[in-house]
Amino acid sequence: MNAPSQPPGLGFIEAVSAIVPPRRRDAWRKEWEAEVTYAWRGILERGRPAGSVIRLRLRVLTCLIDALWERKETMKMTGLFNDLRFAVRSLARHPSFAFIAVLTLALGIGANTAVFTLVDGVMLSPLPYDEPEQLVSLEHQGRDGRDALPMSQGLYVVYRDRSSVLDAVALHALTAVNLMRNGEPERIAAQWVTPSFFGVLGVDALLGRTFTEDEGAPGAEPTVILSHGLWETGFARDPSVIGQTLDVNGTTRTIVGVMPTDFGFPDRQMRLWLPFAVDEAQAPLAAFGSEGIARLSEGTTPASLDAELQSLIGRLEEWYPDSGAPAFLREVNLRPVVRPLKAAVVGDLDRTLWVLLGTVGLVLLIACANVANLLLVRAESRQRELALRVAVGAGRSQVIRSFMSESVVLATVGAAAGLAIASVALRLAIAQVPMNLPRIDEIGLDLRVLSFTLGVTVVCAAFFGLFPLVRFGVDDLASRLRDGGARGSTGGRDTNKIRGGLVVAQMALALVLLIGSGLMLRSFQALRAVDPGFDSEGVLTARITIPTAEMDGWQETAGFFRALRDRLEGQAGVESVGMALSTPLAGNGVPYYSTELEDHPRAESELPVFARQNQVEAGFFEAMGIEPLEGRTIQRGDGAEEMRAVVVSQRFAELWWPDASPIGRRIRQGPQDEWWQVVGVVPDAHYLSLEEVPEEMIYWPATLGTADEPQPTRSMDVVVRTSGDPLDFLPVLRREAQSLNSRIPVSNPRALTDIVSAATSRTSFTMSLLGTASGIALLLGLVGIYGVISYIVSQRTREIGVRMALGASAGSVRNMVVRQGLLLAVGGVVLGLVASGALSSVVSSLLYGVSATDPLTYASVSVLLVAISVVACWIPAARAAGVDPSRALRSE
Amino acid sequence: MGRLFSLTYPTAAVLIAIAHGHRYGFDIMDATGLPDGTVYPILRRLERRGVLEGRWEAEATAKREQRPQRRYYALTEVGEASLAEVVERFPTLSRLFAGDPGEAGDPGLA
Repeated sequence: MNAPSQPPGLGFIEAVSAIVPPRRRDAWRKEWEAEVTYAWRGILERGRPAGSVIRLRLRVLTCLIDALWERKETMKMTGLFNDLRFAVRSLARHPSFAFIAVLTLALGIGANTAVFTLVDGVMLSPLPYDEPEQLVSLEHQGRDGRDALPMSQGLYVVYRDRSSVLDAVALHALTAVNLMRNGEPERIAAQWVTPSFFGVLGVDALLGRTFTEDEGAPGAEPTVILSHGLWETGFARDPSVIGQTLDVNGTTRTIVGVMPTDFGFPDRQMRLWLPFAVDEAQAPLAAFGSEGIARLSEGTTPASLDAELQSLIGRLEEWYPDSGAPAFLREVNLRPVVRPLKAAVVGDLDRTLWVLLGTVGLVLLIACANVANLLLVRAESRQRELALRVAVGAGRSQVIRSFMSESVVLATVGAAAGLAIASVALRLAIAQVPMNLPRIDEIGLDLRVLSFTLGVTVVCAAFFGLFPLVRFGVDDLASRLRDGGARGSTGGRDTNKIRGGLVVAQMALALVLLIGSGLMLRSFQALRAVDPGFDSEGVLTARITIPTAEMDGWQETAGFFRALRDRLEGQAGVESVGMALSTPLAGNGVPYYSTELEDHPRAESELPVFARQNQVEAGFFEAMGIEPLEGRTIQRGDGAEEMRAVVVSQRFAELWWPDASPIGRRIRQGPQDEWWQVVGVVPDAHYLSLEEVPEEMIYWPATLGTADEPQPTRSMDVVVRTSGDPLDFLPVLRREAQSLNSRIPVSNPRALTDIVSAATSRTSFTMSLLGTASGIALLLGLVGIYGVISYIVSQRTREIGVRMALGASAGSVRNMVVRQGLLLAVGGVVLGLVASGALSSVVSSLLYGVSATDPLTYASVSVLLVAISVVACWIPAARAAGVDPSRALRSE
Repeated sequence: MGRLFSLTYPTAAVLIAIAHGHRYGFDIMDATGLPDGTVYPILRRLERRGVLEGRWEAEATAKREQRPQRRYYALTEVGEASLAEVVERFPTLSRLFAGDPGEAGDPGLA
């Protein structure tokens, strides 16, 4: 017979035994182990009856209770444990107080933990690569920051060969490819990378290898590296995939490696990697079509690299005397932008996240102030008990401990509930976060977050535990007992001052948050009011890409798109069909090139004319609901030899022909190209974001080039205007595309309305978060002011009774109470306005169309807060006014 | 003489179970049906008050069965003395164990 298997839970018992006092530990552990072993034998002998193993496991867990009991028994009854137990019991006797305090704290701590987790995951924790602090991103800018120029192949070669500060440098470019598997085309995210890419990041293949230098040269055998995800889903983790082939964009590529799980840069969306071929002899210097990353050599900084690259750029003309590119780069005043890789990945998101952290931090402060207030009330009612303790000889430390232990218990329970809230909130937030949060897949509750929560909890407990302590110090209690009364009215007044101060602070913080969310609301409204420049209702868009390997000839390619357009136009419910290289706000980016104007010849010293350039098939403007301001739109036949027609945007027209009609003027892309005639002017549309002022735009027909060498656009968004729900049309679009060529997939289908609302997503996300936070803040603030005023009323019942007996009217009593509340509210508002003014520079970058010190927002929010406070005070005021003088006087 | 322990139902159940011969921690849990987490603290408290006495079973038995020695609990003289009162207070309890001798079948009941 085999040796019986190891019983479950022995490790747990071993771990828990650490709690048991050393004197008893060995015996304790031996006893538990023996019981579990015996029980386990029994279970095995009976053939593991259903549920028996689970029952045993649960039983083993209770050894923790036993261990705690052992520990407790050996501690003195005057010890901390006893204090805590006393605190738990006394809180349990006031369940509503405990519930409100814990709930308040749980919300505050939970929100902070959740947001800190985001901040930590996105911004604080290092990137998951080898020695991440040595990694930098390489970008460039021209014309003093007006042109964002990432990286060119030529500069890559220069930097790689001539820099002394760089350890390694790599190019990469995101792309999407058509993957054929089992006869089904699929569009997936992929990345072109130079072979050095993996070395720069310091990551090796899990299976097989990464690209060799030769595979990054032109004409090399086509190869591909799989992501772990694709290997898992597409190849069932088959280790023999190395050496197999894959049909990517119609090219057969040999699989040379599989990357480890979780690998990816800039995110983990890539499904496969393709070798980026750089032709060293002809690598263009000024075509900025890819991104650059690099690893610094030991002991150098981004700043020293920046300086070196600057000097390399200055010497380009030496090394490339025959090329015109160095002169062009000098003209646009090309400068390197070297940033730590993490800063580049996180981008401009850090400010939003810090504001969020600040927001939830304020909520927590308000929550603590509320709990402090509640504790003060409790301390007041515990005066007798504490005074007695002092009288029978309790020392200062014991009194402090008994105060603090309640705070500790509240904060601990609050933190536990807060962690639960945070983990739920995080799951929701990650699902909801509309903006493309970088590194979101790396986020989770971990040890750092837990220690953050622990720190927050300790600070909270100290914060609100301290107030009653300051108020009812030991000496004070002793003297109070001597004076014979624990209900001295002057003491009450001092407490009310502290509580009043807390309420003022709460009101001020609530106002800061309310103003913040008010400003976000106004930004959101302003953003919603922006005319995107097109009509998004009822429009479906989807991307179609035709690889060269699939259709090489231009006629075929252009013909595919035109045939698809014709087929779609014939469908029921379709109003118009168009296609474009780039759809507004869809996030595909719009090429940014230089252009020449026939009637504005460029002088030697002048910078070239730059403009965004889109390419569209006939029907695009109609499908987008864009009406020409002048002339006509692109129509069928435009782009052919005899009809070289282009359309320009309003801004472009106003910039170059402010006083005349642009119709009939001629423009071209470069000195070697033909002249094209402007046939129409269309309104500006927002392409990159709603916030930005639309840039000048030129719309070329989808097929360009000379008559004998036409260049069709191979990747276009199909835009269909329908009379019904646009997404209902998707199956028809897929069917028609499929019937034309089954190897070309329709990808990324979206309703244009969704694209537009996604463009306001960051503002609406920030707005809803701030709105929720300020709502909670307002509620807590109101509870605070209500609590203080009703407490004051209850303390002054006798005084109010006297006043009324002497002839004060109910109305005057009510006004007196409301006035008291009003004073607190106004004090809070004044403080809050000052604080908001001081913080305005922090939020200004998140706003759109509204100033950070917008008087309307400030005024209306202040009035709102005061008005609601008056309402909150009205209830205790009415109670005060209803006091029966004879009863009030007798009640003492 | 005052009692050495507060006579709650769980305490009584543990005492009577031991008197009926259920002498090991897990056996007592099974026999009494008390929540698992409550039994050991009661045993600890009763042992500390001198009502029970814990002892390790014979080494030979454990060796023969190739398992660690178990610890069992028995009533002390004090415990025996207080048992009568327990039975009187919770008459139904001892009936629960009647006709259910534990493995040792200790005739502890008067």
